[in-house]
Amino acid sequence: MSTRPVLTRREPTRRPLVDRPSSRRPSALALGALTAVGALTLTACTGPSVASDVSSESREQATEVDWSQVEPASEITWWSNHPGGSQEVEKELVERFEEAHPEISVNLVTAGANYDEIAQRFQAASQTDQLPDLVISSDVWWFRYHLNDQIMPLDDVFEHLEVDVDDYVPAFYGDYEYDGLHWAAPYARSTPLFYYNADMWQAAGLPDRGPETWAELAGWQDALTEQVPADSAPLGLSVGPSWSAWWFKNILWGHGGQYSDEWETTLDTPEALEAGEFLRDMFHDSGLATVSEDSAVDFASGLVAATIGSTGSLKGILDAAEFEVGTAYLPDGPAGGGTPTGGTGLAIPSSRTPEQQLAAAIFLAFLTETDQTAHFSQNTGYMPVRTSAIESPEMQAVYAEAPQFRTAVDQLNDKARSQDWIRVFVPGADQLLSEGIEQIVLRGTDPEQAWSSITPRIETAYRENVEPYL
Amino acid sequence: MAAVLAQPGPDPRAVPDPAGAAPAVGALGPRSRRRASSRRRRALLWFLVLAGPNVALLALFVYRPLVESFYLSTMQWNLGSPVARFVGLGNYVEWFTSPATSQVLATTAVFTVTTVGGALVLGLGLALLLDRRLPGRGLARTVAFAPYVLSGYAVGILWLFIFDPRYGLMSAVLGWFGAASPQWYTAEPWPLVMIIVVYLWKNLGYVALIYLAGLQSVPQDLRDAASLDGAGPTRTLRSIVLPLLTPTTFFLTVTMMLASLQSFDIIRSMTSGGPLGSTTTLMYQIYQEGFVNGRAGYASAGATVLFLVLLTVTALQLRYVEKKVHYA
Repeated sequence: MSTRPVLTRREPTRRPLVDRPSSRRPSALALGALTAVGALTLTACTGPSVASDVSSESREQATEVDWSQVEPASEITWWSNHPGGSQEVEKELVERFEEAHPEISVNLVTAGANYDEIAQRFQAASQTDQLPDLVISSDVWWFRYHLNDQIMPLDDVFEHLEVDVDDYVPAFYGDYEYDGLHWAAPYARSTPLFYYNADMWQAAGLPDRGPETWAELAGWQDALTEQVPADSAPLGLSVGPSWSAWWFKNILWGHGGQYSDEWETTLDTPEALEAGEFLRDMFHDSGLATVSEDSAVDFASGLVAATIGSTGSLKGILDAAEFEVGTAYLPDGPAGGGTPTGGTGLAIPSSRTPEQQLAAAIFLAFLTETDQTAHFSQNTGYMPVRTSAIESPEMQAVYAEAPQFRTAVDQLNDKARSQDWIRVFVPGADQLLSEGIEQIVLRGTDPEQAWSSITPRIETAYRENVEPYL
Repeated sequence: MAAVLAQPGPDPRAVPDPAGAAPAVGALGPRSRRRASSRRRRALLWFLVLAGPNVALLALFVYRPLVESFYLSTMQWNLGSPVARFVGLGNYVEWFTSPATSQVLATTAVFTVTTVGGALVLGLGLALLLDRRLPGRGLARTVAFAPYVLSGYAVGILWLFIFDPRYGLMSAVLGWFGAASPQWYTAEPWPLVMIIVVYLWKNLGYVALIYLAGLQSVPQDLRDAASLDGAGPTRTLRSIVLPLLTPTTFFLTVTMMLASLQSFDIIRSMTSGGPLGSTTTLMYQIYQEGFVNGRAGYASAGATVLFLVLLTVTALQLRYVEKKVHYA
């Protein structure tokens, strides 16, 4: 018989104070648990209430306000990301306003570095009372705000303030219309533009103008290829979210296709497939185009002979390029063409008091007046948002200094077209469309496969995030 | 009077009666019990005073969001709307059956294993180097640690310039050896390689610093004894230093893995998860779905999965890996 005790279970042992495993065990576990929890806190915001029907009819609608009975608030807050590095310009516009309306002061807040950051902050603040009175609402965000009842229609308050809305560039103001009401006013608006290196054009023996069609540009390819470095191509284009799905519209429309017919995704049409095929050919077969990380930089440094860039980049490109820069309309395709509009408008949150909303509307009307929009345009490169501003003396001075800017304004009048709904109205759809374009451009994927890989995801996004709220 | 006062309870300073007259615990008088219970109350009060604020803060800012996040994961909610729809486990079902999930998990695994493994190996090497008595050692240590205190976002933007395939420093360096620069931004798998390199660069100093502290706590007499027994530097490293560094390695493995699984700033600033999702880790997917695509419920489901992954990984490490740790 053994004298040693038989242990049927592990005996608890007293741990010495200096036993490192024991002192570390709980702390490491706690550390693990706590840091892991950090991941969860990312998505934990103040929660919504639960309802089976979330449609707009079921939600409480704002009561109509008799604006003539409302006194504007004395102080308002404006959230901006200062598009196009416009902080100083915006400060000056605020000063001008406070001079013209001494009874209202404006607190200009930098609420993000870009449209998405502003939007994320605005969404996160939506369940609190820490909201601004006026907020940047980019083309791909304002509709989400509207679906969530976060912004108010401007029509009534603008009518009360006698704002001349007919003078807004129709394509710009029309972009914010849904259900017969306007949910934002245009502010920093832009379009894509075709930029070409006029020196290379001349050396290649080409006329000093952009190509009228994509086919014409393809015909110029051999002459232009001789002008650019051996590992480059005549046309440099960047890909990525908030960008490639914007310029690709021109090619898609040029082939008679579109991203969607209202809410129905139409990437399976022969026209959309043809446009995708054209894109693949440009990057993978003909060698007409190459992928640029930053197409404006590649263009300004002479690495490519032409690019598509925002009108907002014009000033930067003119400053950086050491050659003659030419600008032209985006080329047409076999079925015509068109240019999408982009940039941002300004909206007024629906949960502010009528007094704050009225003060914000007065400021918004002022910001988009002829003198102010011309001043903003002159100093940033964004388009003037009023027809009257396009021919104003201030803009004439801009055209005299940079005739290339005139092309952008003319293109807006001649070619601007409202965006297809799914890209701007369905949350995340721009990202998915960019992914489809990247598949074709970077991997050379068959367009049918690329489009069919993203279509169901866009439809899910619509079904989940748009349809129930309509 | 003094005798009367002393009578009921034992004086702690009193010498016990060898005859066993000292009272047993169970035989404590009521005053003594009161005193003991008042001591316990005081201790409890002190515990509440000292730990209470921390516990309250943790409950408010960590555990409440944890519970809320799980609650949100059962909802379909677009982040801004005042109302949401209950979908039960629908978000989890979608997450586990989504074709994107396998890519996200693979990217997360590659990123985590290479960054943690790489940081440990390179960090140890750097620490061994910095442990030697070399001229300018203090400066070298500072330089090695400096990247760790920089903002991840700024580091990402800075390295984007370095990696630029046409104008970047990396392209020039590769050019000296006659090599062409890969398309770091667009051609898979280079974007993932790029963010791994930058993550390693940023965190190497931290790993080296912790290892350095560990190295300096390795007793010199053990090294001397090994040396007397004829062990060379390699053998001493293998048989003395590395085993004694296992607590440090274990600590670093746990903390680095947690940090790596949650890394965000470098990915956000350098690739935004692209191209084609090739640098989208689980953490980045949560951000992308929640804040860009406005699918807060789905993102919360992803966050719950990440939480469980982190918890499981940590628990497994504590349960199994720690057994191989030698504490001096």
